[in-house]
Amino acid sequence: MDYILEGIIGAFQLLLSGHEETYSAVATTLKVSTLSITACLLVGIPLGFLLGYRDFPGKRAIRAVVDTLLALPTVVVGLLVYAFITRRGPLGEMGLLFTIRGIAIGQFILALPIVVSLTASAVEELDPKLGLTLKTLGATKRQVALSSLWEGRYSVMVSAVTAYGRVISEVGASMMLGGNIKWHTRTITTAIALETGKGQFSMGIALGLVLLTLAFAVNTTVSVLRRRA
Amino acid sequence: MMPIYKLENLKKVYDERTVLDIEDLKIQEGEIIGLVGPNGSGKSTLLRILALLEKPTEGDIYFRGEMAVFEENKHRKHVTMLLQNPFLLKRTVFENIAYGLRMRGQVNRLTEKVYDALNMVGLDPGNFSGRKWYQLSGGEAQRVALASRLVLRPKVILLDEPTASVDTASGHIIQNAVLKARDMWGSTLVIVTHDLAWIYGVAERILSLFRGKLIKEVPENILAGDWRPYGKGLSALRLSDGQFVIGAGSLSPDSVAILDPEDVIIGLEKPAIDSALNSLRGTIIEMSLENGTGQVLVKVKVADRLFTSVVTGCSAENLRLRPGTAVFLHFKASAIKWMRLS
Repeated sequence: MDYILEGIIGAFQLLLSGHEETYSAVATTLKVSTLSITACLLVGIPLGFLLGYRDFPGKRAIRAVVDTLLALPTVVVGLLVYAFITRRGPLGEMGLLFTIRGIAIGQFILALPIVVSLTASAVEELDPKLGLTLKTLGATKRQVALSSLWEGRYSVMVSAVTAYGRVISEVGASMMLGGNIKWHTRTITTAIALETGKGQFSMGIALGLVLLTLAFAVNTTVSVLRRRA
Repeated sequence: MMPIYKLENLKKVYDERTVLDIEDLKIQEGEIIGLVGPNGSGKSTLLRILALLEKPTEGDIYFRGEMAVFEENKHRKHVTMLLQNPFLLKRTVFENIAYGLRMRGQVNRLTEKVYDALNMVGLDPGNFSGRKWYQLSGGEAQRVALASRLVLRPKVILLDEPTASVDTASGHIIQNAVLKARDMWGSTLVIVTHDLAWIYGVAERILSLFRGKLIKEVPENILAGDWRPYGKGLSALRLSDGQFVIGAGSLSPDSVAILDPEDVIIGLEKPAIDSALNSLRGTIIEMSLENGTGQVLVKVKVADRLFTSVVTGCSAENLRLRPGTAVFLHFKASAIKWMRLS
């Protein structure tokens, strides 16, 4: 049991001393997750809004597919993206494999269904009186649509934060697409997997603590936003 | 004068059920209309159509002489409606009130306009304008909702039970604010309310709806129920306390019995009865002065039903009628009319 205690003490020493390798993994995680979540929100919020706000043929089927993709295994995403960006794949020439952009593509695919589905739900769950109220205040169709999205902003933010939580904690896609290259594509989760395998508990625990702190911040944000929504 | 609304052969059908059927209705600019009727009579549907939020299934609606447009806000921007339950946008009070002006691009002197609107509904701008939507009581929220409509200086204000879910003080402020809007800007008011004492006091015209039809421009007594043959071409409706209402003729399945309040005479004693004369024992529960006519509307509870009678102010005084007074309602069997609903 001593090695666990030693690991925890070592973890704090690493964090407090500003251990470069540890902080490199944290920085990579923040960089790649910011890239993937930004792209995901730019695409996912408009798609989710359309899915929740408009009625069109096939809407239910699309919704069912999006909801199914919420449970997409990270390694399956890793596998699919790998097939496309590997040197022999259709996008091989772009040199995305084992890069931050490569990981970001995988994370984008993982997070997109979350943002689309939760945004659509947020819009669908808006009070029916909202549209009526906006119209009685003289809003045009376009103004009603935009104001509806704004009124659902807290729920839309919940979708963003939930997706971010998924992105920073996933390991499969990051490992397969990033290759866990030290100083380059090693993220918190891939580093934990590797260091634990090597018996380096201190660094694993240190990175685990950072991940837990991030997860706590994410969950706190979600719960605050849910109260507002 | 050109009416602000003209409705012709208007019908609204939901799932093959006609919920509104109005042959002809004109509403003049600046008029105060009270819309009364039992639940499900089509009042809210009519309000939504007047608000140009819902298209009628059949018929035409003209707004200030032009065929009304429902798809765009060309006409709708002149009309606003206050819902029964307060609903505010998730913004500050200031932004809630400014919303309609911003959507119209009318942002000149925005703060001044918003503050004026807040003052109109009795809320101190300094104290309230920065509050969030969840920092208000139900009555305050409804007053903010009203202010967000008044700030637009609308041609028409439609009110759907605006005081039903607020405290009495807020209710009075809301009532006064809409009347002030009418006085200041000539806004037309169409008001659905159960506050009959108020509406009969301020409305220039009362429209009574029953099962989607305008009955007559006075409140009718609607005597729905199990009418049965009573011999000699008469029908009878047994009330819960054993008293009978006798009507001449017989009820067909698609008709309803109505009784004009002006045909109902109030007395303090029971007269000699003949078979054609109804004499029902009841208690006055409410009295209100009808706007501009000097007549008094008297609501009398008979068994589990309410009857409305109209008496002159003089008669009410002579008979010393007061809420709580036990009275007899007299009317002829022939006063019962059978109105076809289809």
